[in-house]
Amino acid sequence: MASPLIVEHLIKEYGALRAVDDVSFTLEPGEVFGLLGPNGAGKTSIISTIVTLERPTAGSVRVFGHDVTREPRAAKVAIGFVPQELVNHGFFDVSEVLSFHSGYYGLAHNREREDYLLERLGLWEHRHKKVKQLSGGMKRRLLIAKALVHRPRLLLLDEPTAGVDVALRESLWEFTRELRSEGLTVLLTTHYLQEAEELCDRVGVIHQGRLKQIGDTQSLIASLTHRQVCVQLKEARLPLSHPLLTRQQGCWLEFQLPYNQNLGSLLLEAGLELSALNDLRITEGTLEEVFRLVVGGKV
Amino acid sequence: MTPHLRWTPFWVLFRREIKRYLKVLVQTIFAPMISSTLYLLIFGVSLGSQVTVPGGISYLAFLIPGLVMMSCLNNCFQNSSSSIVSAKFAGDLEDLKVAPLSHTQMLWAFAFGGLTRGLTVGTITFLVGELFFYLTTDQWLGIAHPGWLLFFLTLGGLTFAKIGVSVAFWAESVDQLSAVSSFVLLPLLYLGGVFFSVENLHPLWKSVSHANPLLYLINGVRYGILGQADVAVGTAALVAVLALGLFHLLGLWSLRRGPYGRW
Repeated sequence: MASPLIVEHLIKEYGALRAVDDVSFTLEPGEVFGLLGPNGAGKTSIISTIVTLERPTAGSVRVFGHDVTREPRAAKVAIGFVPQELVNHGFFDVSEVLSFHSGYYGLAHNREREDYLLERLGLWEHRHKKVKQLSGGMKRRLLIAKALVHRPRLLLLDEPTAGVDVALRESLWEFTRELRSEGLTVLLTTHYLQEAEELCDRVGVIHQGRLKQIGDTQSLIASLTHRQVCVQLKEARLPLSHPLLTRQQGCWLEFQLPYNQNLGSLLLEAGLELSALNDLRITEGTLEEVFRLVVGGKV
Repeated sequence: MTPHLRWTPFWVLFRREIKRYLKVLVQTIFAPMISSTLYLLIFGVSLGSQVTVPGGISYLAFLIPGLVMMSCLNNCFQNSSSSIVSAKFAGDLEDLKVAPLSHTQMLWAFAFGGLTRGLTVGTITFLVGELFFYLTTDQWLGIAHPGWLLFFLTLGGLTFAKIGVSVAFWAESVDQLSAVSSFVLLPLLYLGGVFFSVENLHPLWKSVSHANPLLYLINGVRYGILGQADVAVGTAALVAVLALGLFHLLGLWSLRRGPYGRW
């Protein structure tokens, strides 16, 4: 089966501004891939190019083998897109909007799927309301329903949880996990790095238009960050000398432990016997640390 | 491409266009109907007896075809342009771009949506005109050539709906859209022989009027209803076909290259 998404040497320029600078990456079937980056990094430009809202300046984008500039319609059938901005649909109610959107994909009689999504996303009781009468969260749910109404094989979520409350955010991520379990490939952008860490199989960090890091989420955390190990001794000791020791204050010792080294060997090297310890706290590295390091130019 | 993608997206967008204007009937149907009625009442019934037109027909009879075409063209333009402009405000124009709709499907769906509204308002204008004509002459105004009438209304309506698509796509504000409507289309319509016969004009202005393509469309409808017009029907038909072809290409180019982003 062709890869859900292959982006090769993509460049997007707006006048003199190069928003996307030679970006390449590939999505594997059934994975959740997070495209992370600060505001203005180029995430939305990449997604806009994939969904043909923008034309690439150079490079190519293929969706399940279909080049989005040469075979846009074949590519679009496979894509579900949730934009960052909320949409109002001035004249129509929720049910009509979903039905029209289904029709644009050639599905004139798709009532069962439409009703399922309205129920699953908590929109059923609002289905006869005009879209402008919905809250921001409800509008966001409608965007997701629209993106899924034609059963896409690749789902693009551009900041899907921007401006939504915690409960809705959690339910949307839960729904995303459910979609992944059904085999859908997901590309998402988000500012919630903790959630991206839990949800994404792989991430790419983009900064100033360039893809700075890409890889398995946990592998990136392991290779670019450290575990912080805090040891409380029963009695204070004379200043300890160890290459991984970052701080010593009273009974507390703080180490930065690389992921390729285990705790036992650290304690052994530092001459710390278990019987001398009063407490031990371990803080794992996070995707947020990876993000800061990459964006800060430290890796 | 599957058969579903060949026809369904077009039909759905066409249906949406009709539903859209039916949701605001007062604005889209009743308001144009009132203005047409006022034109007929003031110019046709009240002042008509003091105006003479070539061919020995009453001024009211002369006016009715012009008003039918004017209301049809205006509404075709307004339907497609306001649909696109309101979608730019709401932000859902992007929906059409990301969905597998071809530019040709989009253009024809907007055009036929506009034409449906234009023909509805045009028909109502004709029926109101018929009523006034009956009340002033005790007889009904017949339709001399129904085929030509339908031909010119359809081609003219589709052309104006496609102009509406192009203008709305490239307009960067409602002001720009209104400017095209007020400073280009409206003068061309008014000077295209809706209210007067170019035969009554000074030879110089008569020649200038023949450069106005709307003269041919309006007189095509006049020929369809009255059986007589200021221009030859063959010439008028040729202009109608050329205009539709030209603005079809412009519409396609606008859909390909125009901005889909929100205002």
